[in-house]
Amino acid sequence: MLSQIAFWGAVELGLVFAFVAVGVLLAFRVLDFPDLTVDGSFPLGAAVTAVLITSGVNAWLAAAVAMLAGGGAGLVTAFLNVRFRILNLLASILTMIALFSVNLRVMGKPNVALINADTMLSPFFGLGLREVYVRPLFVGVLVILAVVFVWRFLESDAGLAMRATGANPRMARAQGVDTRWQIYLGLALSNALVALGGALFAQTNGFADVTSGVGTIVVGLAAVIIGETLFGARGILLALIGCVVGSILYRIAIQVALSTDVLGLKASDLNLVTAVLVAVALVLPRLRRGGATS
Amino acid sequence: MINLKNIHVTFGRGTPLQKEALKGVDLTIEEGSFVTVIGSNGAGKSTLLGVLAGDVLPTEGQVTIGTADVTRKPTAARAGLVARVFQDPLTGSCGALSIEENLALAARRGERRGLAAALGLQRRALFRDRIAELNLGLENRMKDRMDLLSGGQRQAVSLVMATLAGSEVLLLDEHTAALDPGMAEFIMKLTQRVVSERKLTTLMVTHSMRQALDFGHRTIMLHGGEIVLDVSGDSRKDLQVEDLIAMFRKMRGETLDDDALLIG
Repeated sequence: MLSQIAFWGAVELGLVFAFVAVGVLLAFRVLDFPDLTVDGSFPLGAAVTAVLITSGVNAWLAAAVAMLAGGGAGLVTAFLNVRFRILNLLASILTMIALFSVNLRVMGKPNVALINADTMLSPFFGLGLREVYVRPLFVGVLVILAVVFVWRFLESDAGLAMRATGANPRMARAQGVDTRWQIYLGLALSNALVALGGALFAQTNGFADVTSGVGTIVVGLAAVIIGETLFGARGILLALIGCVVGSILYRIAIQVALSTDVLGLKASDLNLVTAVLVAVALVLPRLRRGGATS
Repeated sequence: MINLKNIHVTFGRGTPLQKEALKGVDLTIEEGSFVTVIGSNGAGKSTLLGVLAGDVLPTEGQVTIGTADVTRKPTAARAGLVARVFQDPLTGSCGALSIEENLALAARRGERRGLAAALGLQRRALFRDRIAELNLGLENRMKDRMDLLSGGQRQAVSLVMATLAGSEVLLLDEHTAALDPGMAEFIMKLTQRVVSERKLTTLMVTHSMRQALDFGHRTIMLHGGEIVLDVSGDSRKDLQVEDLIAMFRKMRGETLDDDALLIG
């Protein structure tokens, strides 16, 4: 049904967006903060990386700076919410909108190409493995590192404080947790991961585009929800693995939907397909529960 | 030791709904003493507790806990001094976390939280032992989510959580009010044991006159934001529930329709 190249391309894209999914998990599920900043911090990560790489900066350093920029975007949203008590969703929308202009400023134009530039992946090409495999393998290793890091963090004393902040802020404060600081920290971490996703997107696809952020949040949420549907609520590690698996499955499903001629779908139908998939993923667990009780 | 000096709390200042919840409360609680607080609805009990916990910052006056002036410190900043069990079992612990994760969270109350694993072998064993002391069989369910427990079980775990880290004062906010009578009795016995074993300075707000007189060393009654009764020692021993109810009536200038509510 899918060609090899299309399949591994979908896996690669799924792995890139796994960073988004983990970031969304941190904000939406751990902190209970519906954060739409990601629609801006994903292209921000891509823009910063692309601009730095084209001006000769090392690709790894460029990705690190992209993460800092993403973290900064998260801090802005947290600041609007914590300091000025702007509703969390609205605070994140404000940052997201502002970032569109910021991203245009960063790049100086709507898109930057990275053709023939040295990326983080360049040293791994020409080692004998075909490019189609090298890219998902490379991104996959980074995803594993990120998952392990976030997992260990959430099971540490500091991570427990963040989880308590999302689950029961009153109790968290009574235990000495400064919930405001946790929101800053959580959103910075979340958006840094999303920006890293953006940075990798730019490097694997060879361009950064100011519109590439549209719908990032939906894709991230889709991955989180698919993961939850598959693995249920059984601990932090499984939730994180669920994000990654969900993100990959989502991309494969999209790829299949678009490449099956029977359905007559075109690339421009992507957003519609996405919305339908997310809706299905949202409804499935409810149907299953309903079936068990009635 | 706890010292409240001339505490005033006014909610909604400058609005038509302005309400003076506390009007110049002075209260000193010696170290290791167990004080029970009664009063009708709106008397200022919750506000008093809030002032000590940091949820309510006084409009005027000074709050000292131990040797620290905490008057302007919010809840999180003074959590190292204040342990607390809430009325609603759902408030005092995190339903989405496991029993042992809740304990790990409480064990670091008021301390810096680092990146070390929250649940090492040593800690797990310690938590298990402390939970086993409850004799509720919960030691075999340490990985269960907190929201799988009954209200009484959650309050019992909350009491353990309150004593994992040191504190200058233990605040009990009608912590048996949401429980069935049997469980309420169990929690009160447990409270008594924990408080006397650890010689905790304790302030317990209660709706039950019976509890107020049966537990602790001293009873204060609040009315209209002021302390109207403060008894300890022999005069407290002689005090009967009926006497308290009579005082309540006098305060409110009316007869209570529902004595049962107060005798509880």
